[in-house]
Amino acid sequence: MSMNTRSSRAHFRGLVLALIAVLPVLVLAAWSLSRGWLWPALLPRAWSLRAWRYAASPLSGVPQSLAVSIFIALIVAALAVLLAVPAARAIALHSFRGRQAVLFILLLPVLAPPVASAMGVHSLFIRLGLAETVFGVILVHLIPAVPYSTLMMVGAFSRFETDQEAVARTLGASTYHVWLRVTLPALAPGIAVSAVFAFLISWSQYLLTLLVGGGQVRTLPLSLIAFQTSGDDAVAAALALLYLAPAVFLFLAVSRFLRADA
Amino acid sequence: MPKTLPVSLLLLFLALPGCRRPAAPPPFHLDGLTWDDLRRMARGTPACLAMWGGDEERNRYFQQTVVPAMAAKHGISLRILPLSDTAEAVNKLLNEKRAGKTSGGSIDAVWINGENFRAAKQAHLLWGPFADFLPNIRFYDGQIRQRDFGTPIEGFEAPWKRAQFVFAFDSARFPTPPDTIDGLRQWIRAHPGRFTYVAPPDFTGSAFLRHILMHFGGAADEPRYLQAAAQSIAWLNDIKPYLWKRGETYPSSPRDLDRLFANSEIDFTMSYGPYFAAQRIRRGEFPPSTRTFVLRGGTIGNYSFLAIPFNAANVPAALVLINELMSFDRQLDMAKVLDDPFPQQLDRLTAEQRAAVEAIPRGPAALADAVLASHYLPEPDAVYLDRLEKEWMEKVLRQ
Amino acid sequence: MLVILGLFASGVVSAILESLGRYQDPALTFRYYSQLFSDREIRASLGFSLGVAAIATGLSAAFGLMLALRLRRAAHAWTGWNTLLQFPLAVPHLAMAFVVLQLISSSGLAARIAYHAGIISMPAEFPSLVNDRFGAGIVLVYVLKETPFVALMILAVLTRLGDSYELAARTLGASAWQCFRHVTLPLAAPPLVASCLFVFAYILSAFEVPFVLGRPYPAMWSVIAQRRYMEADLAARPGAIALAVAASSLTALLVWLYLRAARSWSGLDKPAIF
Repeated sequence: MSMNTRSSRAHFRGLVLALIAVLPVLVLAAWSLSRGWLWPALLPRAWSLRAWRYAASPLSGVPQSLAVSIFIALIVAALAVLLAVPAARAIALHSFRGRQAVLFILLLPVLAPPVASAMGVHSLFIRLGLAETVFGVILVHLIPAVPYSTLMMVGAFSRFETDQEAVARTLGASTYHVWLRVTLPALAPGIAVSAVFAFLISWSQYLLTLLVGGGQVRTLPLSLIAFQTSGDDAVAAALALLYLAPAVFLFLAVSRFLRADA
Repeated sequence: MPKTLPVSLLLLFLALPGCRRPAAPPPFHLDGLTWDDLRRMARGTPACLAMWGGDEERNRYFQQTVVPAMAAKHGISLRILPLSDTAEAVNKLLNEKRAGKTSGGSIDAVWINGENFRAAKQAHLLWGPFADFLPNIRFYDGQIRQRDFGTPIEGFEAPWKRAQFVFAFDSARFPTPPDTIDGLRQWIRAHPGRFTYVAPPDFTGSAFLRHILMHFGGAADEPRYLQAAAQSIAWLNDIKPYLWKRGETYPSSPRDLDRLFANSEIDFTMSYGPYFAAQRIRRGEFPPSTRTFVLRGGTIGNYSFLAIPFNAANVPAALVLINELMSFDRQLDMAKVLDDPFPQQLDRLTAEQRAAVEAIPRGPAALADAVLASHYLPEPDAVYLDRLEKEWMEKVLRQ
Repeated sequence: MLVILGLFASGVVSAILESLGRYQDPALTFRYYSQLFSDREIRASLGFSLGVAAIATGLSAAFGLMLALRLRRAAHAWTGWNTLLQFPLAVPHLAMAFVVLQLISSSGLAARIAYHAGIISMPAEFPSLVNDRFGAGIVLVYVLKETPFVALMILAVLTRLGDSYELAARTLGASAWQCFRHVTLPLAAPPLVASCLFVFAYILSAFEVPFVLGRPYPAMWSVIAQRRYMEADLAARPGAIALAVAASSLTALLVWLYLRAARSWSGLDKPAIF
């Protein structure tokens, strides 16, 4: 087999896989533009912009949900990175006893269902007046987001040469300049990736938002579930696309920094 | 990590009971206030109505019509809090009660009835009594203001909606549906896979269960309940193997049930809204040949109500809102736009108003008001409702 | 940082206290935990949750391993593959569950294609894949989402190790199978085991996907916990929290095992699922 056919076969396979990845988006798009799509029709009987028009109007609450979701996720991402960078630096650059324990504590909120701790936090938040507030929701999103970002930043720091900082400092650069000119550029990809993943963690929370937000803080996933259960499939599909798009876009934006072999 | 210790301890202390906020403002009292005083107090304030959000058409109606009307007419900026189940609101109030949040609550009015009302009233989660204070209470029958699923109301909620349980079928698939409980059973056994119901504790699923219970003698007292419940469970288990997916699973919402019916997966659907079929036909979801029917032995019906939480931030606005929702004009409009049953007593209306009610188009799918009225069965006590749902889960679902 | 961990810790402590009946009972009690064991719904849910998580993990592991080995040879197309593989990781679970629902429900697109192909004549003949007894839809979503994750974890290690071990084995006369069995598999085993533990723990604590694609009974434990927590009756709540705490303890154990498994290699910093 010549190299040429092999690579075209690989391309073909890549194309098929890409199609599989795109197919769900096409299905969602078709549903969102459909008007009456009953069994057993393979394609919608008629097309309509109704769902999108409704989703775009404040009456549906969708624009508000989108705004609140973006707001919460941005703040979560910013705070998560701010908190994660110093913590990750300490973990990555110093070997100390109990490192394993620290990793365990970090990994726990990422993996362990935050349901239990959210239920516990809930009554605390009611008492502090944080339940049903955007701030409370941000705080509870930070529970999985911060450790997650930290773990990702630990990876970035473990590839980071502190010698460069030392060199810059010997050459007379101020702490601020060292940070700005040496540390930040070296860590920028890592920071971008961990910010995006913190954003995505916040973006995909449903249960934590429902518990602590008490239905008053309506993020996109809450709206999505509401439309899905109240039976407006076209609007739910439009919402699912709106929900999917920023996640995919952000992911693609940082995907070149995601190196599996790093 | 020793450094986390102080912080966690601090937060832990905050989490312990006994940490109460400073003294709350005194609760709102109606003493000496007139209706006009209240309207004045409510003007220019916000209000939040928590209501079941499972009907998109209703959500849209409230956003498009009720919210602007409240602003224009009463200067109240109304916000709707959609709930996937009213129990969520009760749960939230229980939380707040326990946390000592006795004022400034985020819900001012809630759409409620049955077991949720019972739970809320027993736990003292409601503000009141207030129902007799509302001018528009005069349109409603005194009888329905007494008890809600057996629970004494005592003015802690005001009636605003009527509902009655109906089945629907497609007259193009077969001309006449079964009209007795045994006929239904035989039909289901003869047509495997063509019938199902929504899994309780969903509202519609639970109503179906109670409907069966009432047909086996109801729940006037404990022995009657025990007997009727046993027969109902036996009946439900008898049809189970012949249900959609052999009864191994049930649709989880009325919308799912409607979807199965629309997609011809099953031959019956059901709803607590007696005119729901007309609406679905209009939206192109159900075939135009859809018709509703009730069983000869009767069909359960109930009223639902509006209540005010004990810690509502804005009681005056809540009262004005509830009164507005109970008004003749609003009820007529909801009957026309949302196909809601008209809940007020016709003999308390003017001749002109009566004519307007009688002129509401109900479409060919609907049963006549007289048929619904003559088949009315009251709801069982809310205590039995809970028990029946639990029995269904144990003895039908998990078998 | 400390505030966040403190928040998490105080949440856990407060949850444990409440599950011991801080509000409901005169003294702290373990009865809500013992009640979990006698509750039929919980027992069924435990089996169901573990079953779904195990099957989804097993399938993800098998497909992930196959994918990794296949891709390892297609090194020239590597960068594109890498992005493509990471793509499912970026899709929120809820969106994925919604798509799967539209595709494989009994009146979904797959069933419609089967109808037009003459395989089935009505929706009921299509196998139950969502809201079904075995959680097929839930498994499908997780397999779609976690297979690439497993593949990436394995690839990361294999790429670093290179193929010199296998080349040496083949040169020494090992058959393709022997080479796989005795060289490749042991090399891939640590990341495979670690990612399996990770995925298993993750699926075990999932909520959104079973919430959309599951059925009333048996349900995943997280769905039951949420349902009972939100009831109009606070009496059910300590039980709901006890369930969540018990399940979290199980996850904590899995996390600990994961850390032990992952200690030998440095894939720790890339838990790219959420």
